[in-house]
Amino acid sequence: MPPSDLNGYHGAYLRVDVSTGQAERVPLPEKVLRAFLGGVGLGAWIVLQEGAAKADPLSTEAPLAFVFSPLVGSPLTTSAKFAVVGKSPLTQRFNDSLASSQFALAGKRCGVDALVLVGQAESPSILLIDEDEIRLEPAEDLWGETIPTAEKRLRKVWGLAYQFAVIGPAGERQVRFATISHDGRHAGRGGHGAVLGSKRLKAVAVRGAQRCTWAYPQELAQFAKELSAKSWGPATAKYRELGTMANLLVFNRLQALPTRNFQRSQFAEAVELSPEHLSATRQKTRDSCAACTIGCEHIYALKEDDSPGVRLEYENVFALGPLCGVSDPQTVLECSRICDELGLDTISAGGTIAFAMECAERGWLDIPWLRFGNAEALPRALQSMVTNDELGQLLRQGSRRMAGMIGHDSIDFAPQVKGLEIPGYEPRALQSMALGFAVGSRGADHNRSGAYEADFSEKVDRLNLRPEDVSHAVESENRAAILDSLILCKFLRGTLSDFYAESAEMLRLVTGWEIGPAELQETARRIVNVKKRFNMDAGWETGEDSLPARFFEDQLPGVAHSSFTPDRFRELVQAYYAERGWRKDGRLTEDQALAISMAESCNP
Amino acid sequence: MHTRVICRMPMTVHVEFFGIPRLRAGIAATQCQGTSLGEVLQELAERFPGLANDCFQGNRLRDAFAANLNGNRFVSDPATPLTRQDHLLIMSADAGG
Ligand code: SF4
Repeated sequence: MPPSDLNGYHGAYLRVDVSTGQAERVPLPEKVLRAFLGGVGLGAWIVLQEGAAKADPLSTEAPLAFVFSPLVGSPLTTSAKFAVVGKSPLTQRFNDSLASSQFALAGKRCGVDALVLVGQAESPSILLIDEDEIRLEPAEDLWGETIPTAEKRLRKVWGLAYQFAVIGPAGERQVRFATISHDGRHAGRGGHGAVLGSKRLKAVAVRGAQRCTWAYPQELAQFAKELSAKSWGPATAKYRELGTMANLLVFNRLQALPTRNFQRSQFAEAVELSPEHLSATRQKTRDSCAACTIGCEHIYALKEDDSPGVRLEYENVFALGPLCGVSDPQTVLECSRICDELGLDTISAGGTIAFAMECAERGWLDIPWLRFGNAEALPRALQSMVTNDELGQLLRQGSRRMAGMIGHDSIDFAPQVKGLEIPGYEPRALQSMALGFAVGSRGADHNRSGAYEADFSEKVDRLNLRPEDVSHAVESENRAAILDSLILCKFLRGTLSDFYAESAEMLRLVTGWEIGPAELQETARRIVNVKKRFNMDAGWETGEDSLPARFFEDQLPGVAHSSFTPDRFRELVQAYYAERGWRKDGRLTEDQALAISMAESCNP
Repeated sequence: MHTRVICRMPMTVHVEFFGIPRLRAGIAATQCQGTSLGEVLQELAERFPGLANDCFQGNRLRDAFAANLNGNRFVSDPATPLTRQDHLLIMSADAGG
């Protein structure tokens, strides 16, 4: 493969048709790279070119992209990340999910900025990619294996030089919220594991030795050193010492902890699941993604069990605990492990089960054991998702489709936006976040919108958001677009005192582009717009930018002064569209669409 | 007619710590006598030097930390008046999960 004269990039992506094993190197013009950076932004542009918006995500022709970034492989802390980008089988809208570590480093060393997979293998296979060879190897013997077992066996056969992105039984069975996993971390949301499963790929393996050059290597090393030093400061102490689980007791106190399928916002037994309590009662170790100086991963031992511990995050604890009314830490740990092994997105898995529990309690599902608070129900329901039993076949569709099958008014309390289950931020109690969920390109999403930041500040009244407050939601989405495209970890953001200036400087040192904060702000807006463009092509309609009826009809117990009506919420959404410069119906203006089309015309 | 103050009720602000502030204070909750946010933080600084060292900057919280009044609004101005029976929650500002 010819070397690129770009710094930080290889200047091409690799399109592999897994039906035929044919591969093609597709050039990426510098103009496109500068316009969309990498990760989520570049991925959105690539899959739009590849026709993902109009394809059935589980069809042969649907493209799935693994996208690296200019910073991957650099000495900058938390930069060893990759984005998986395509159309979600859960939402039928744009989807991107991020994961970390050696797969990003090895993938970029294959000499490309992204891998795009289309087609379908004849039988279960592994796709092996290195610098000068691409081949499919049979994987029938791995089909059905859990992710840790499959990874272990793959390493044994193919050696440590390869890095693997693997699906579990959930991906094979096309559970619509199946993950793709690498080294214990998951590209989790939106069901890209099902897309890989539909291509009959158990794993993608990458290996390579091609390195990109950096424009200013010495200054970059110095900048990276200073950034690492800042990453040890107070802004990241929460992540280092307690992990994201530290949210649990805070959210509970602020009546923002979704409980029993969003029927309540406080969980009486929350303390049982808190990191403070778990740390005092069981062994804990810490880990980090490759090239990270923060190390937010807290791994708790499963009692009476020699197997490796379980990474606990706020999101899996909230979804498998309070949301299902379960307070037993052992069950939550066990269920987190089941999700890791099968390859299930914990938020969607917990959300869908909580929804099923409420339907069962209302008598709309005849499953007597499926009840809030029944610790035994949770692992049983999770395991059913990869079997042919009736419940499993319902659950693996996610809560929105399931509501369509159950009927009654169940869609009113299916905990989702655009089909993606809502993470652990109660919308009525955190209304900036509620807006972020409603307008998010991939649905209810706390990663692509960090609007909760405003809710946890003096900037807004989190219980009564006003139209003039929506700029915070827009701004947080813009910052996330940059972080997810560079790609850097969100947990680093508190250490950046001038976000756009420092991000632009990192990009300048790597690429040599004379890029400033203003250009990067424009890039952020363009990246949000390209995702919107994808959704418009995929059939997006204005009414999707809302929340389930429950959030407007049911007051939160104990939060009397929260006002949240459909009319007021529509006003917020309208204000958001106006702030983005979009049309009143939420579509891009002609100029905005043209700006994306101009970049499209770069397609060779 | 003048009202004569016979005795002043001590101000009792309930302070609750979460996350890192709880680790640094070594306890989950305490009570303070101050009448403003700044006074309460000052009192806490005297009693919990580890907390002050990592979480406070003078009579304010560092940027990485936040204070909430009674589970409702967030406050940062040291002059914010606190009244008897107020609950002041001290937590990490970053709610990323
Ligand atoms: S802070 Fe956590 S999630 Fe982020 S790169 Fe480090 S270990 Fe990974």
